[in-house]
Amino acid sequence: MDTFAEVLLVLGSALAMIGGIGVVRFGDLFSRMHAAAKAPTLALILAAIGAAIEIGTLLAATTLTLVVVLQLLSSPVGAHALSRASRRQMTIAIDDVDELTSDEHSDP
Amino acid sequence: MNIVAVVMLTIGAAGFVYRLLRGPSLPDRVVGLDGLLSVIVIGIIVAAARSSNGGITVETVLVAVFVGFVGTTALARFIERRGN
Repeated sequence: MDTFAEVLLVLGSALAMIGGIGVVRFGDLFSRMHAAAKAPTLALILAAIGAAIEIGTLLAATTLTLVVVLQLLSSPVGAHALSRASRRQMTIAIDDVDELTSDEHSDP
Repeated sequence: MNIVAVVMLTIGAAGFVYRLLRGPSLPDRVVGLDGLLSVIVIGIIVAAARSSNGGITVETVLVAVFVGFVGTTALARFIERRGN
């Protein structure tokens, strides 16, 4: 059981690392937000389960559950507010086509 | 095995810090700041898993998560009003 907890902690850290690499490598803001959303959701859940097993007290498990629920509620709200705010002020053009503003079905 | 987790978290935090310092626009920096805080949260959890009083150490994570949410939302409102 101890090894299982360690594996979960390492998996969570690996997902955080993947998020960091993606934030460096991706080209525009929304791709970066997609990569950055890995760290606060699945990585945190894996690390929290691992730590709850490793610590093994009811207090720690309750607190970690509260942390995960709070993060899962707040992270999409923050990402939505940020993307909505920045969407109004920039155009994301891939191959000179802004797919969020151009309507492909309007003109025959 | 714990040192593997710490090394991975360091690489991830370096990526977010790079985006925080070099992001072309303000929303890129907000993405870097938010991600860096969540990496710090995971780091605290990994550290608390090994400490003797981990049940108390873990409670600091609650505050960090809430501060991160308030910061991201406030910066988003700021960007919406001001532009990048």
